Amino acid sequence: MTRLWGIVLNWIAVGLAEDIPVGTVVPRRVDGLDLAIWRSGLGRFHAWDDRCPHRGMRLSHGFVRGEVLACVYHGWQYNLDGACDYIPAHPDLTPPKTICANTYVCETRNQALWVALGTVNGDVPDIGDRIPIRSLDISCGAPAIARYFDHPQDPLIVLRGKYDLAIALQPSTSRSCFAHVFAGAGQDKKIVSRYVEKLRDELEAA
Amino acid sequence: MILYDYVLSASCYKIRLMAALSGQKLELQAVNFHPAREHKSPEMLKLNPGGTLPILRDEDLIMTDSSDMLRHLTRNLPEWQGDDDGWLDFARTLNETLGMARLHDVLGFEVDIDAARKRGVHLLRLLEAHLTEQRFDGMIFLTGDTPTIADIACFPNTALAPDGGVSLDVYPSIRLWMRALRSLPGFIEMPGIHRLHELEAAE
Repeated sequence: MTRLWGIVLNWIAVGLAEDIPVGTVVPRRVDGLDLAIWRSGLGRFHAWDDRCPHRGMRLSHGFVRGEVLACVYHGWQYNLDGACDYIPAHPDLTPPKTICANTYVCETRNQALWVALGTVNGDVPDIGDRIPIRSLDISCGAPAIARYFDHPQDPLIVLRGKYDLAIALQPSTSRSCFAHVFAGAGQDKKIVSRYVEKLRDELEAA
Repeated sequence: MILYDYVLSASCYKIRLMAALSGQKLELQAVNFHPAREHKSPEMLKLNPGGTLPILRDEDLIMTDSSDMLRHLTRNLPEWQGDDDGWLDFARTLNETLGMARLHDVLGFEVDIDAARKRGVHLLRLLEAHLTEQRFDGMIFLTGDTPTIADIACFPNTALAPDGGVSLDVYPSIRLWMRALRSLPGFIEMPGIHRLHELEAAE
Protein backbone atom coordinates (compact mmCIF):
# COMPACT_ATOMS: atom_id res chain seq x y z
CA MET A 1 0.00 0.00 0.00
CA THR A 2 1.18 3.49 -0.80
CA ARG A 3 -0.29 6.57 0.82
CA LEU A 4 0.14 10.00 -0.77
CA TRP A 5 -1.45 13.11 0.73
CA GLY A 6 -4.07 11.02 2.48
CA ILE A 7 -4.97 9.14 -0.68
CA VAL A 8 -4.52 5.39 -0.47
CA LEU A 9 -2.93 4.05 -3.60
CA ASN A 10 -2.79 0.28 -3.71
CA TRP A 11 -2.59 0.40 -7.47
CA ILE A 12 -1.39 3.39 -9.43
CA ALA A 13 -2.44 3.89 -13.03
CA VAL A 14 0.54 4.53 -15.29
CA GLY A 15 -0.94 4.58 -18.76
CA LEU A 16 -2.92 3.07 -21.59
CA ALA A 17 -1.71 -0.18 -23.12
CA GLU A 18 -2.15 1.17 -26.67
CA ASP A 19 0.33 3.99 -26.00
CA ILE A 20 3.14 1.51 -25.35
CA PRO A 21 3.48 -0.75 -28.40
CA VAL A 22 5.29 -4.09 -28.21
CA GLY A 23 9.05 -3.52 -28.07
CA THR A 24 8.99 -0.04 -26.53
CA VAL A 25 9.80 1.59 -23.19
CA VAL A 26 8.44 4.83 -21.71
CA PRO A 27 9.24 6.88 -18.59
CA ARG A 28 6.60 7.52 -15.92
CA ARG A 29 6.87 9.39 -12.62
CA VAL A 30 4.99 8.56 -9.43
CA ASP A 31 5.47 11.00 -6.54
CA GLY A 32 8.92 11.81 -7.82
CA LEU A 33 9.86 8.14 -8.29
CA ASP A 34 10.99 7.53 -11.87
CA LEU A 35 9.77 4.32 -13.49
CA ALA A 36 10.56 2.70 -16.82
CA ILE A 37 7.50 0.91 -18.20
CA TRP A 38 8.32 -1.48 -21.02
CA ARG A 39 6.56 -4.03 -23.15
CA SER A 40 8.42 -7.13 -24.25
CA GLY A 41 8.30 -8.72 -27.67
CA LEU A 42 5.66 -11.13 -26.41
CA GLY A 43 3.56 -8.21 -25.17
CA ARG A 44 4.08 -8.41 -21.38
CA PHE A 45 4.30 -5.12 -19.46
CA HIS A 46 6.98 -4.48 -16.85
CA ALA A 47 7.57 -1.61 -14.42
CA TRP A 48 11.08 -1.05 -13.09
CA ASP A 49 13.01 1.73 -11.42
CA ASP A 50 14.17 3.99 -14.25
CA ARG A 51 17.78 3.43 -13.34
CA CYS A 52 20.38 1.04 -14.72
CA PRO A 53 22.13 -0.69 -11.78
CA HIS A 54 25.43 -0.24 -13.62
CA ARG A 55 25.84 3.54 -14.05
CA GLY A 56 22.43 4.96 -13.21
CA MET A 57 21.40 5.77 -16.79
CA ARG A 58 17.63 6.02 -17.27
CA LEU A 59 16.47 2.63 -18.57
CA SER A 60 13.63 4.45 -20.37
CA HIS A 61 16.30 5.73 -22.76
CA GLY A 62 17.11 2.08 -23.47
CA PHE A 63 15.72 -0.34 -26.00
CA VAL A 64 13.76 -3.57 -26.01
CA ARG A 65 15.09 -6.59 -27.86
CA GLY A 66 12.64 -9.43 -27.63
CA GLU A 67 12.30 -10.35 -23.96
CA VAL A 68 15.09 -8.15 -22.61
CA LEU A 69 15.48 -4.44 -21.88
CA ALA A 70 18.91 -3.08 -22.76
CA CYS A 71 20.48 0.06 -21.34
CA VAL A 72 21.45 2.60 -24.00
CA TYR A 73 24.72 3.47 -22.19
CA HIS A 74 26.72 0.19 -22.22
CA GLY A 75 24.15 -2.23 -23.60
CA TRP A 76 23.71 -4.26 -20.41
CA GLN A 77 20.68 -6.49 -20.90
CA TYR A 78 18.08 -7.25 -18.24
CA ASN A 79 15.70 -10.19 -18.47
CA LEU A 80 12.04 -10.32 -17.44
CA ASP A 81 12.99 -10.75 -13.76
CA GLY A 82 15.14 -7.63 -13.87
CA ALA A 83 18.34 -9.68 -13.65
CA CYS A 84 21.27 -8.68 -15.83
CA ASP A 85 22.06 -11.60 -18.12
CA TYR A 86 24.42 -10.10 -20.68
CA ILE A 87 27.22 -7.52 -20.58
CA PRO A 88 28.46 -6.77 -24.13
CA ALA A 89 31.95 -5.74 -22.97
CA HIS A 90 32.35 -9.16 -21.25
CA PRO A 91 30.46 -11.53 -23.53
CA ASP A 92 31.74 -14.69 -21.77
CA LEU A 93 30.86 -13.51 -18.27
CA THR A 94 27.79 -14.77 -16.45
CA PRO A 95 26.77 -11.59 -14.57
CA PRO A 96 26.41 -11.98 -10.80
CA LYS A 97 22.82 -12.30 -9.58
CA THR A 98 23.22 -9.14 -7.52
CA ILE A 99 23.12 -7.02 -10.68
CA CYS A 100 19.38 -6.61 -10.86
CA ALA A 101 16.99 -3.81 -11.78
CA ASN A 102 14.45 -2.92 -9.10
CA THR A 103 11.07 -4.26 -10.27
CA TYR A 104 7.42 -3.64 -9.35
CA VAL A 105 4.22 -5.57 -9.97
CA CYS A 106 2.61 -4.32 -13.19
CA GLU A 107 -0.82 -5.47 -14.41
CA THR A 108 -3.14 -4.61 -17.27
CA ARG A 109 -6.89 -4.62 -16.99
CA ASN A 110 -9.27 -3.29 -19.65
CA GLN A 111 -6.36 -1.70 -21.52
CA ALA A 112 -5.31 0.22 -18.40
CA LEU A 113 -1.84 -0.24 -16.91
CA TRP A 114 -1.44 -0.40 -13.14
CA VAL A 115 1.61 -0.59 -10.89
CA ALA A 116 1.80 -1.60 -7.22
CA LEU A 117 4.71 0.14 -5.54
CA GLY A 118 4.34 -1.65 -2.21
CA THR A 119 2.83 -4.94 -1.20
CA VAL A 120 0.02 -5.93 -3.55
CA ASN A 121 -3.20 -5.19 -1.72
CA GLY A 122 -6.59 -5.79 -3.30
CA ASP A 123 -7.66 -6.29 -6.89
CA VAL A 124 -6.55 -4.18 -9.81
CA PRO A 125 -9.14 -1.36 -10.09
CA ASP A 126 -11.91 -1.98 -12.59
CA ILE A 127 -12.76 0.72 -15.11
CA GLY A 128 -15.57 -1.45 -16.44
CA ASP A 129 -16.22 -1.72 -20.14
CA ARG A 130 -15.04 1.82 -20.82
CA ILE A 131 -12.57 2.31 -23.64
CA PRO A 132 -9.22 4.11 -23.38
CA ILE A 133 -9.22 7.72 -24.62
CA ARG A 134 -5.87 9.29 -23.77
CA SER A 135 -3.41 10.27 -21.04
CA LEU A 136 -2.81 13.95 -20.38
CA ASP A 137 -0.77 15.92 -17.89
CA ILE A 138 -2.48 18.32 -15.51
CA SER A 139 -0.48 20.89 -13.57
CA CYS A 140 -2.40 20.28 -10.34
CA GLY A 141 -1.77 18.02 -7.39
CA ALA A 142 -3.95 14.95 -6.89
CA PRO A 143 -5.72 16.29 -3.76
CA ALA A 144 -6.73 19.50 -5.59
CA ILE A 145 -8.19 17.45 -8.43
CA ALA A 146 -10.02 15.12 -6.03
CA ARG A 147 -11.45 18.16 -4.23
CA TYR A 148 -12.49 19.80 -7.51
CA PHE A 149 -14.58 16.77 -8.43
CA ASP A 150 -15.85 16.50 -4.85
CA HIS A 151 -14.67 12.96 -5.00
CA PRO A 152 -13.77 10.62 -2.14
CA GLN A 153 -10.05 10.22 -1.77
CA ASP A 154 -9.68 7.62 -4.43
CA PRO A 155 -7.30 7.96 -7.38
CA LEU A 156 -9.95 6.56 -9.75
CA ILE A 157 -12.48 9.32 -10.40
CA VAL A 158 -15.71 8.23 -12.05
CA LEU A 159 -17.84 10.98 -13.59
CA ARG A 160 -21.35 10.34 -14.80
CA GLY A 161 -22.31 13.83 -15.90
CA LYS A 162 -22.40 14.95 -19.52
CA TYR A 163 -20.05 12.10 -20.37
CA ASP A 164 -19.44 8.74 -18.74
CA LEU A 165 -15.78 9.01 -17.78
CA ALA A 166 -13.26 7.23 -15.57
CA ILE A 167 -10.12 9.24 -14.84
CA ALA A 168 -7.28 7.37 -13.15
CA LEU A 169 -4.79 9.76 -11.59
CA GLN A 170 -1.08 9.10 -11.60
CA PRO A 171 0.33 11.62 -9.09
CA SER A 172 3.60 12.55 -10.81
CA THR A 173 4.75 15.19 -8.34
CA SER A 174 3.06 17.15 -5.56
CA ARG A 175 1.96 19.70 -8.19
CA SER A 176 1.18 17.57 -11.24
CA CYS A 177 -0.74 14.51 -12.33
CA PHE A 178 -0.83 12.35 -15.41
CA ALA A 179 -4.53 11.63 -15.94
CA HIS A 180 -5.48 8.44 -17.76
CA VAL A 181 -8.94 8.87 -19.25
CA PHE A 182 -11.46 6.18 -20.19
CA ALA A 183 -14.96 6.72 -21.55
CA GLY A 184 -18.11 4.66 -21.88
CA ALA A 185 -18.35 2.89 -25.21
CA GLY A 186 -20.21 4.68 -27.97
CA GLN A 187 -19.01 8.16 -27.06
CA ASP A 188 -17.09 10.13 -29.71
CA LYS A 189 -13.40 9.93 -28.77
CA LYS A 190 -12.56 13.34 -30.23
CA ILE A 191 -15.38 15.05 -28.37
CA VAL A 192 -14.36 13.37 -25.10
CA SER A 193 -10.70 14.26 -25.71
CA ARG A 194 -11.61 17.93 -26.20
CA TYR A 195 -13.88 17.84 -23.16
CA VAL A 196 -11.09 16.61 -20.89
CA GLU A 197 -8.82 19.34 -22.26
CA LYS A 198 -11.48 21.83 -21.18
CA LEU A 199 -11.61 20.15 -17.75
CA ARG A 200 -7.84 20.51 -17.54
CA ASP A 201 -8.06 24.23 -18.37
CA GLU A 202 -10.65 24.67 -15.61
CA LEU A 203 -8.57 22.73 -13.09
CA GLU A 204 -5.40 24.64 -13.87
CA ALA A 205 -7.23 27.99 -13.68
CA ALA A 206 -8.93 27.09 -10.38
CA MET B 1 22.51 21.91 -54.19
CA ILE B 2 24.66 23.43 -51.46
CA LEU B 3 23.45 23.61 -47.87
CA TYR B 4 25.25 26.10 -45.65
CA ASP B 5 24.98 24.07 -42.54
CA TYR B 6 25.57 23.98 -38.78
CA VAL B 7 25.42 20.53 -37.28
CA LEU B 8 23.65 21.54 -34.03
CA SER B 9 20.98 23.66 -35.76
CA ALA B 10 17.49 22.16 -35.69
CA SER B 11 16.57 24.08 -38.86
CA CYS B 12 19.62 22.88 -40.78
CA TYR B 13 18.82 19.31 -39.68
CA LYS B 14 15.29 19.68 -41.13
CA ILE B 15 16.82 20.21 -44.56
CA ARG B 16 19.41 17.43 -44.23
CA LEU B 17 16.67 15.06 -43.04
CA MET B 18 14.27 15.96 -45.86
CA ALA B 19 17.02 15.45 -48.44
CA ALA B 20 18.03 12.12 -46.89
CA LEU B 21 14.48 10.79 -46.69
CA SER B 22 13.82 11.71 -50.31
CA GLY B 23 17.16 10.37 -51.53
CA GLN B 24 18.64 13.71 -52.61
CA LYS B 25 22.28 14.58 -52.29
CA LEU B 26 23.26 17.85 -50.65
CA GLU B 27 26.71 19.35 -50.73
CA LEU B 28 27.24 20.44 -47.12
CA GLN B 29 29.20 23.60 -46.42
CA ALA B 30 29.90 23.73 -42.69
CA VAL B 31 29.51 27.21 -41.16
CA ASN B 32 31.03 27.95 -37.76
CA PHE B 33 27.86 29.34 -36.16
CA HIS B 34 29.19 28.93 -32.64
CA PRO B 35 31.50 30.20 -31.34
CA ALA B 36 32.88 32.00 -34.45
CA ARG B 37 29.54 33.52 -35.58
CA GLU B 38 30.65 32.90 -39.16
CA HIS B 39 27.02 33.27 -40.34
CA LYS B 40 27.42 37.00 -39.61
CA SER B 41 30.66 37.30 -41.62
CA PRO B 42 30.72 39.64 -44.67
CA GLU B 43 30.91 36.66 -47.07
CA MET B 44 27.86 34.97 -45.52
CA LEU B 45 25.90 38.26 -45.27
CA LYS B 46 26.49 38.73 -48.99
CA LEU B 47 24.70 35.41 -49.48
CA ASN B 48 22.01 36.03 -46.84
CA PRO B 49 21.67 39.63 -45.58
CA GLY B 50 19.45 38.28 -42.78
CA GLY B 51 22.47 36.53 -41.28
CA THR B 52 20.66 33.26 -40.53
CA LEU B 53 21.20 29.57 -41.22
CA PRO B 54 20.40 27.39 -43.04
CA ILE B 55 20.95 28.73 -46.54
CA LEU B 56 20.17 26.48 -49.49
CA ARG B 57 21.62 27.29 -52.89
CA ASP B 58 20.35 25.57 -56.02
CA GLU B 59 22.37 27.15 -58.87
CA ASP B 60 21.12 30.77 -58.99
CA LEU B 61 18.33 30.24 -56.49
CA ILE B 62 19.20 31.13 -52.90
CA MET B 63 16.75 30.21 -50.12
CA THR B 64 16.99 31.42 -46.52
CA ASP B 65 13.66 30.17 -45.14
CA SER B 66 13.53 26.51 -44.13
CA SER B 67 9.87 26.15 -45.19
CA ASP B 68 10.80 27.39 -48.68
CA MET B 69 13.63 24.85 -48.73
CA LEU B 70 11.31 21.97 -47.78
CA ARG B 71 8.91 23.01 -50.55
CA HIS B 72 11.76 23.29 -53.01
CA LEU B 73 13.17 19.86 -52.15
CA THR B 74 9.73 18.23 -52.59
CA ARG B 75 8.43 20.31 -55.53
CA ASN B 76 8.39 17.19 -57.73
CA LEU B 77 7.47 14.76 -54.95
CA PRO B 78 3.70 14.93 -54.38
CA GLU B 79 3.90 12.08 -51.84
CA TRP B 80 5.67 14.50 -49.48
CA GLN B 81 3.02 17.19 -49.88
CA GLY B 82 -0.15 17.52 -47.79
CA ASP B 83 -2.16 20.17 -46.04
CA ASP B 84 1.10 21.66 -44.80
CA ASP B 85 0.73 25.47 -44.55
CA GLY B 86 -0.57 25.67 -40.99
CA TRP B 87 2.03 23.21 -39.75
CA LEU B 88 4.87 25.11 -41.41
CA ASP B 89 3.70 28.18 -39.43
CA PHE B 90 3.44 26.01 -36.34
CA ALA B 91 7.02 24.82 -36.89
CA ARG B 92 8.13 28.46 -36.91
CA THR B 93 6.52 29.02 -33.50
CA LEU B 94 8.19 25.84 -32.19
CA ASN B 95 11.51 27.32 -33.30
CA GLU B 96 10.76 30.62 -31.52
CA THR B 97 9.92 28.86 -28.24
CA LEU B 98 11.40 25.36 -27.77
CA GLY B 99 14.17 26.22 -30.23
CA MET B 100 15.14 29.37 -28.32
CA ALA B 101 14.95 27.55 -24.96
CA ARG B 102 17.44 25.04 -26.37
CA LEU B 103 19.78 27.78 -27.67
CA HIS B 104 19.60 29.31 -24.18
CA ASP B 105 20.54 26.06 -22.46
CA VAL B 106 23.02 24.72 -25.02
CA LEU B 107 24.75 27.83 -26.41
CA GLY B 108 24.02 30.42 -23.72
CA PHE B 109 21.73 32.66 -25.80
CA GLU B 110 19.95 35.43 -23.90
CA VAL B 111 16.31 34.39 -23.85
CA ASP B 112 13.35 34.89 -21.50
CA ILE B 113 13.67 31.22 -20.63
CA ASP B 114 10.54 30.83 -18.47
CA ALA B 115 8.35 32.41 -21.15
CA ALA B 116 9.97 30.33 -23.91
CA ARG B 117 9.41 27.07 -22.01
CA LYS B 118 5.86 27.98 -21.01
CA ARG B 119 4.87 28.81 -24.59
CA GLY B 120 6.68 25.69 -25.75
CA VAL B 121 4.65 23.49 -23.40
CA HIS B 122 1.46 25.13 -24.71
CA LEU B 123 2.49 24.23 -28.28
CA LEU B 124 3.36 20.64 -27.30
CA ARG B 125 -0.11 20.27 -25.79
CA LEU B 126 -1.65 21.46 -29.08
CA LEU B 127 0.55 19.05 -31.04
CA GLU B 128 -0.30 16.16 -28.69
CA ALA B 129 -4.03 16.90 -28.99
CA HIS B 130 -3.87 16.93 -32.79
CA LEU B 131 -1.77 13.76 -33.03
CA THR B 132 -4.11 12.02 -30.58
CA GLU B 133 -7.08 12.86 -32.81
CA GLN B 134 -5.12 11.65 -35.83
CA ARG B 135 -4.60 8.33 -34.01
CA PHE B 136 -8.36 8.07 -33.37
CA ASP B 137 -8.67 8.17 -37.17
CA GLY B 138 -5.95 5.54 -37.59
CA MET B 139 -3.25 7.97 -38.74
CA ILE B 140 0.14 8.56 -37.18
CA PHE B 141 1.42 11.63 -39.06
CA LEU B 142 0.30 15.28 -38.93
CA THR B 143 -1.67 15.42 -42.16
CA GLY B 144 -2.34 11.77 -42.98
CA ASP B 145 -0.99 8.26 -42.80
CA THR B 146 2.22 9.12 -44.64
CA PRO B 147 4.73 11.81 -43.65
CA THR B 148 4.87 15.18 -45.42
CA ILE B 149 7.01 18.30 -45.07
CA ALA B 150 4.68 19.28 -42.20
CA ASP B 151 6.09 16.43 -40.11
CA ILE B 152 9.68 17.13 -41.12
CA ALA B 153 9.27 20.83 -40.25
CA CYS B 154 7.85 20.17 -36.77
CA PHE B 155 9.97 17.16 -35.81
CA PRO B 156 13.42 18.60 -34.94
CA ASN B 157 12.47 21.29 -32.42
CA THR B 158 9.95 18.92 -30.83
CA ALA B 159 12.42 16.05 -30.49
CA LEU B 160 15.10 18.41 -29.11
CA ALA B 161 12.76 19.98 -26.51
CA PRO B 162 14.51 18.20 -23.59
CA ASP B 163 17.75 20.04 -24.55
CA GLY B 164 15.87 23.23 -23.63
CA GLY B 165 14.57 21.86 -20.35
CA VAL B 166 11.12 20.80 -21.61
CA SER B 167 10.22 17.17 -20.99
CA LEU B 168 8.42 15.02 -23.58
CA ASP B 169 7.52 12.31 -21.03
CA VAL B 170 3.83 13.28 -20.83
CA TYR B 171 3.01 13.22 -24.55
CA PRO B 172 2.28 9.62 -25.65
CA SER B 173 1.07 10.56 -29.14
CA ILE B 174 4.08 12.81 -29.78
CA ARG B 175 6.38 9.96 -28.73
CA LEU B 176 4.68 7.53 -31.11
CA TRP B 177 4.81 10.11 -33.93
CA MET B 178 8.54 10.66 -33.34
CA ARG B 179 9.08 6.92 -33.31
CA ALA B 180 7.27 6.59 -36.66
CA LEU B 181 9.49 9.31 -38.13
CA ARG B 182 12.65 7.73 -36.73
CA SER B 183 11.59 4.42 -38.31
CA LEU B 184 11.44 5.86 -41.85
CA PRO B 185 13.87 4.40 -44.40
CA GLY B 186 16.79 6.77 -44.91
CA PHE B 187 16.33 8.48 -41.51
CA ILE B 188 19.47 10.31 -40.37
CA GLU B 189 20.51 11.43 -36.89
CA MET B 190 21.80 14.65 -35.40
CA PRO B 191 23.31 15.21 -31.94
CA GLY B 192 20.36 14.77 -29.56
CA ILE B 193 18.22 12.75 -32.00
CA HIS B 194 19.26 9.15 -32.42
CA ARG B 195 18.10 6.27 -34.56
CA LEU B 196 16.02 3.43 -33.14
CA HIS B 197 18.48 0.99 -31.63
CA GLU B 198 15.97 -1.82 -31.66
CA LEU B 199 16.02 -1.82 -35.47
CA GLU B 200 19.66 -2.86 -35.48
CA ALA B 201 20.46 -6.53 -35.83
CA ALA B 202 20.74 -8.24 -32.46
CA GLU B 203 24.26 -9.34 -31.58
